[in-house]
Amino acid sequence: MAADELDLRLQARARRAYELGRLLAALRLAPFVLAAAVAAIACGRPFPVTCALALPLLLLSVGLAYAGGPAGRAVRPGLLAGAGALAAPLLMATVGHACFGPACMSLALPACVVGGGLAGVVIARTTVRRDADLPFVLGALAVAALTGALGCTLAGAAGVLGMLAGVVVAGAPVLVAARR
Amino acid sequence: MRRLPAEREIAPGVEGGERAELRRLMVRLADGDRAAFRPAFALLWPRLRAFAARCVAAADAEDVAQAALLRVFSRASEYDAERDALAWALGIAAWECRTLRRTRQRRREDQVAPPDPPDPAENPEGTIIARDLSAAAEAVLGTLRPNDVETITAAAAGSGKLRGATFRKRLSRALGRLRIAWRARHGSR
Repeated sequence: MAADELDLRLQARARRAYELGRLLAALRLAPFVLAAAVAAIACGRPFPVTCALALPLLLLSVGLAYAGGPAGRAVRPGLLAGAGALAAPLLMATVGHACFGPACMSLALPACVVGGGLAGVVIARTTVRRDADLPFVLGALAVAALTGALGCTLAGAAGVLGMLAGVVVAGAPVLVAARR
Repeated sequence: MRRLPAEREIAPGVEGGERAELRRLMVRLADGDRAAFRPAFALLWPRLRAFAARCVAAADAEDVAQAALLRVFSRASEYDAERDALAWALGIAAWECRTLRRTRQRRREDQVAPPDPPDPAENPEGTIIARDLSAAAEAVLGTLRPNDVETITAAAAGSGKLRGATFRKRLSRALGRLRIAWRARHGSR
């Protein structure tokens, strides 16, 4: 009986160690999210908007990675895919494209759509390669959308919607073709 | 290849099915499947305890085994599915044994490893020689890095991935470091 109790206590300690280990491993993603937010702010994105997007992204990435499963495996591909969508409009802004008023839409909006398309292809190809299921796709989409939105707010709500449209338009055919 | 003393005692109980099962459970744990925790614990704990009992004094074995178990589970999310789960866990346990020995050496409380249980089939002289060799091998192994210990224990256990070129290269390097450590401690014998 005493040995059983000791084993149960040890099991509880081992379980705590396991959960803590998973949390610490998930927190290793935080620097990537923070780097994305810092890049967005450095490229002139408003601080409150960036924080409003980065905080949910941080919680989502760490939470999914901690929970594990298909959605947890989707966090890294999602961040990678979203990085393209984040970089495209920010690069437009930093290479000298004047982004004021309607002029902003001439390049920033297409950049968001192209960046979203790139993210869609990355997610779709990763899904196909890993033979992943719906939770993986949804997790990757959510993470990529928030990451990309950090940069695509440059073109306003239209930029974010354009990026999402790019993800769907470019990613869906790859997925459908692979599933046939 | 001659099996390491602790592995000799542990491996027979973890051959084939159980070894593969442990691997599957660790893969599921690494993926976040909490349902795999209980069976993984049930498989790992007796093996780690047996390993620790062969590596350190009986009084310390339980503590070392517990520390190793907690370390194994805290690093479960880093487990690489390509590796042999038992060898990986025993590598961590060997590292804990080494840490304890070093701590003891620093405190000058180093204790002699417990003697192997006598085998009535062997003559007394053979038993003493085998015991000395085992203790010397364990002491030298304890000075290596956990990855090297894991590689050597996997090779000693006849793991299936022995055929891989990468594994052979790792094993060759690990054995080279083991030779250097042996010579440093025991000369060129």
